[in-house]
Amino acid sequence: MTTISPLQIENVKKTFTPQKGKPVEALKGISFEVKPGEIFGLLGPNGAGKTTLISIITTLEKPTSGDVKVFGDSVLQKPLSTKKKVGVVPQEIVASGFFDLEELLKYHSGFYGLKNNEKRIDELLTRLSLKPHAHKMMRQLSGGMRRRMMIAKALVHSPKVLLLDEPTAGVDVELRNNLWAFVRELQSEGVSIVLTTHYLQEAEALCDRVGIINHGDLKYVGPTKDIIRELTQKKVEVTLKTGEAVKFLVEKEDNLGLSLAKHKISMDQIQDLKTTEGSLEEAFVKVLHK
Amino acid sequence: MTAFLFLLRKECHRFMKVLVQTVLTPLISSTLYLLIFGVSLGSQIQMPDGSTGENYLAFLIPGLMMMGLMNNAFQNSSSSLVSSKFTGDIEDLGTVPLSRNNIIWALSLASVVRGTLVAAMTLLAGQIFFFVQYGHLLSVEHPLWLFYFLLIGGLVFGQMGMMTAFWAKTFDQLSAVSTFVILPLTYLGGVFISIHQLHPVWQTISLLNPLFYFINGLRYSVLGKADVEVWQAAGLATLSLAIMYVLAHRLFSKISFSRW
Repeated sequence: MTTISPLQIENVKKTFTPQKGKPVEALKGISFEVKPGEIFGLLGPNGAGKTTLISIITTLEKPTSGDVKVFGDSVLQKPLSTKKKVGVVPQEIVASGFFDLEELLKYHSGFYGLKNNEKRIDELLTRLSLKPHAHKMMRQLSGGMRRRMMIAKALVHSPKVLLLDEPTAGVDVELRNNLWAFVRELQSEGVSIVLTTHYLQEAEALCDRVGIINHGDLKYVGPTKDIIRELTQKKVEVTLKTGEAVKFLVEKEDNLGLSLAKHKISMDQIQDLKTTEGSLEEAFVKVLHK
Repeated sequence: MTAFLFLLRKECHRFMKVLVQTVLTPLISSTLYLLIFGVSLGSQIQMPDGSTGENYLAFLIPGLMMMGLMNNAFQNSSSSLVSSKFTGDIEDLGTVPLSRNNIIWALSLASVVRGTLVAAMTLLAGQIFFFVQYGHLLSVEHPLWLFYFLLIGGLVFGQMGMMTAFWAKTFDQLSAVSTFVILPLTYLGGVFISIHQLHPVWQTISLLNPLFYFINGLRYSVLGKADVEVWQAAGLATLSLAIMYVLAHRLFSKISFSRW
């Protein structure tokens, strides 16, 4: 039995044509898919095209060509159906001036056709520690609470795909950790998650696979572990009994023993040995400068 | 249907939260117009049939009702969308499963509700002045026509406000449409004076003003007489709605739901 991909990006191109100046190619034909229940990290420097792609998935922007499919439905052909399956946490916080949190979540539920969604609203407010603030306006909340409210809003209709566009930008460490713990919980509930982030350490810890975009091109897509293994080298720092320190990188085709032999270091010369694995950040930089 | 009803409810709830600004302020303006023009100056203003006083106050009430309806219907949808652009709520409107028709009709029906509320309050204030001055109430001659013109007028100006808000890139552009288009057309559309009191050249120009037909349509509904035939006014109102809807529908396929 074949499983339908929660999200398929099919050769998506997007060109913005400003009133003055040259057209800007924000996306140059991107294709990848997100697997059921995975956390997919969409990485790239500022202006790479990540938010444009998120906007196309949520139908805020139309692609110049190509298509996006959510569980097999095209966002161009069946936007109302795809919107019901996707939740989005935008990069910038929405202020929502007139209503308190509970009212906002009730109206938001209604937009998804959910008349009596109190149970889900209550669950989200509790899980995101917003229950004591349910009758406050957005402007009365701290930045972190507002960010959590955005997540509650995105989840109010229990979407199967969640898009998180820089959800931890400007958020303190504790809240970031809480948010990532929550993201893992959602993953365990079967939600497929696409996240964009500048925090590559977090992406490395969270994402099953990553896609790296630069200047509108998809430069790499694959499992996080693979990209680190393929593009980075293990660092070795040896302290000899003589007090001398030797640092070297382990070539991909070598193991540690071979590398030590290449550097003519025998085991009985070693006082201390420290190895450091390559990081996603190093791999990311290599992909960008390829 | 649920999504549509929730958006309609949210839009009505929004203006109800700021009732002083959305209903009370226009009511005070209308009351002042009634007091100054209807009651104080009314006895000196001669109607085309030579009458003054009671007839002028009766003439003024439906004009002010329609003026309140048009302004508030326009402002309701335009201010809702412009504030959404400012706060970022507009992106929600683009990402939730609401169809173009849901958005157009929910926003414009909320405009009808606010406009009708202002028109009803104006009628109530007018009736109080009328009763105090003349000892009896002004009867509404054609309630069905009244309902029709309130509904169509609210929808047309609600959709106009919606389109203006989507087009506007700044608050200035929004207020420019309100100040330089809606306001003069309203004042020159026969709210305060009958077309028959104007120079023939201005009479011809007034006939080109679409707001003239809405105002006179509502005046016919209340008084049973107006400067144009009711069918002519109703036809033009319906045509205006059809044009507004086609334009709004086309605009929605081109606009972006992005914040300022």
